[in-house]
Amino acid sequence: MRIVMLCSSVYSETACAVAVRLADMGCTPAGALSVSTFNRGTLLRKLGQWGVKRVANYARTKLSSRNTSKPGRIQNEHLEPWLTRRHAVFQNLNQVANVYRFPVAITQDQNSPRAIAALKAWSPDLIVFTGGNILRREILGVPSLGVLNVHLGMLPEIRGMSSPEWSLLNGVPVGITLHFMDSGIDTGPILRKYEFPDLAHCDSLADLRHRLIAFGVEKLGDVVAALDRGTIMSTPQCDRNSASRGDNQYFVMHDWLQERAATLLAQPLRQPVSETVHG
Amino acid sequence: MMMQGSKAWPAVKDAAGLLRAPQRTLPLIRALVSDAAGICFAQPHLYSYSKTRRSTEATLEALLRWIFDAQRSDGGIAAYYSLLSGYSSSYPEVTGYLIPTLYDFAREFPDRAVASEAASAAARATDWLLELQMPGGAFPGGVRAVPSQPSIFNSGQILHGLIRAHSETDDSEIYRAAVRAGDWLVEMQQPDGSWSGPGAYQSAAHVYYSMVAWPLALLSQETGDSRYRDSAEKNLDWVLSRFRPNGWISGINLQGHPDYLHFIAYALQGALECAALLQRNDAVEVVANPAWILLRQFETNKFLSGAYDGSFTNGHRFVCLTGNAQVSYVWLRLFEITGDLRYLNAALKMNEMVKDRIPVQGKPGIVGGLAGSYPIWGCYQPLRYISWGCKFFADALLLEQGVKRSFDSSLVGALACAS
Repeated sequence: MRIVMLCSSVYSETACAVAVRLADMGCTPAGALSVSTFNRGTLLRKLGQWGVKRVANYARTKLSSRNTSKPGRIQNEHLEPWLTRRHAVFQNLNQVANVYRFPVAITQDQNSPRAIAALKAWSPDLIVFTGGNILRREILGVPSLGVLNVHLGMLPEIRGMSSPEWSLLNGVPVGITLHFMDSGIDTGPILRKYEFPDLAHCDSLADLRHRLIAFGVEKLGDVVAALDRGTIMSTPQCDRNSASRGDNQYFVMHDWLQERAATLLAQPLRQPVSETVHG
Repeated sequence: MMMQGSKAWPAVKDAAGLLRAPQRTLPLIRALVSDAAGICFAQPHLYSYSKTRRSTEATLEALLRWIFDAQRSDGGIAAYYSLLSGYSSSYPEVTGYLIPTLYDFAREFPDRAVASEAASAAARATDWLLELQMPGGAFPGGVRAVPSQPSIFNSGQILHGLIRAHSETDDSEIYRAAVRAGDWLVEMQQPDGSWSGPGAYQSAAHVYYSMVAWPLALLSQETGDSRYRDSAEKNLDWVLSRFRPNGWISGINLQGHPDYLHFIAYALQGALECAALLQRNDAVEVVANPAWILLRQFETNKFLSGAYDGSFTNGHRFVCLTGNAQVSYVWLRLFEITGDLRYLNAALKMNEMVKDRIPVQGKPGIVGGLAGSYPIWGCYQPLRYISWGCKFFADALLLEQGVKRSFDSSLVGALACAS
């Protein structure tokens, strides 16, 4: 099976881990298409969000991480099994690509005609999405099987952003869903979903996210293998009415609510916090 | 709310104000440059929302100080501070609905020195309003400097203030004034439940007069008189009939103006509070539809358009800060009513965004004020800091404080149940 990866940056640890996971199971990507790390939009956005000082720090971090002679530090320690090779750490996707011999292309926009042409040239059966732009219909139609995404929440209950945090506050099991992408936000057909078994070991929301990502990398390999064998079928989601208030799309959680969600890590609820007041 | 029939003359008058007081030029330039820089660097992003280090308490106090500064010697509160012409005269409508806000602040911070100042500001505002009541029970429209006719909308907002003032003071004169105003409003209501004709803005029926029905429902609770409740419910039904299945609300009906978010939010807020008071769950459902559409727009685009042309998809590219504050209030109330945390989440973000737009320095009239539009030259109340903006944002922040407290106590309860 020919697999192509989409990623948000060549410095994405998740993208590196996924590439290694796929390569280790004999499905080395045919190529990877990454969004450019520095572009005008990102720079202006970060300036507006963070201010000049933090942007300068961010740029310095990014530039220093390009220096491959320095030993790297892994942000998500749970990805270590895939990112470490003989005491060296993969710093970016280019290094992974050098070892496993696949091309990496850079684009400003994954939906651009040039990006789509590059993807088509790799003629993928499957695209694995690890981050990047919101994908338009045209790109979704490129692979014969579909575009695979790991969502950090149980679909269809929790769609969209901050899914682990919303799961905690809403008393929904924390887990991941592997699904094909369609034009909606996390509305595509579901391949597999897994409840996360190690919630009790998480000491912060960041730790939970890191563990969920690693859990997702592991399970992604299983699902890709099952797709390759043809032993897995996708199931459409029933709740797809995004125009109604009854939809399950969630948005980035405000810090104040995140702090409350963090208190529920050790002691997950069986119903939403608000229900205890509002019935 | 303040609308003007002809746009040209007030603009000329405002600009002439700058000639009379050239010292206003510097603050004007500062505001223009600040907002121009703000919009240049603001790059809304799907994964972000604006954050500010300003605390809710500090912001509330700044808003309150702005309102104190805007209270005129007659006891009424100015409609606005213009960067061109300074403070306006006292404005009865806004003075009326600022009374509950002032008392709410006094309740929220009983230990602060400004609490008693807030309560006495509310008392002075009430005294001034009582002087304005017309023989038939109505209150006049427009700012005080302009002779005007009885106004249904203004009478409703002043009624709101009087009901609260009475519940705080138990003053029978205030009670009688409230009942007279309520009686006049019932008398002026059309058979279909709307208010139109004499006393209505542009003589037309408007959905945002749900903000008149709300105090009538309150008056019914206060007096036990079902006439007011019936009148409120009749208007609520008329308003709900204007809510379209696609979420749009027809019947804002401001000739010569787009449908500003401020008026859309009025319609939502009035209908929602009426629905809550009248225990009409069906009405809550109807109001939740456009509120949810606005929530999705805000979460996706990181701002709400300041005005719309007949549909939520046709938004103007400026921000109506007052409308944002009102929508935040509606979301917080919907969270209280439905328990859907996404409303609370969006309101917290919206309040952060609006907090960020309040000047932390400047002269009275500017510091702590809420501009009509962002950028300040946007088409809703351009170059003005408006008293009703401060009122609605203070209401949203006060409600946020209460909601956070009850959420935290319910979280403690839920954890106790789970253990």
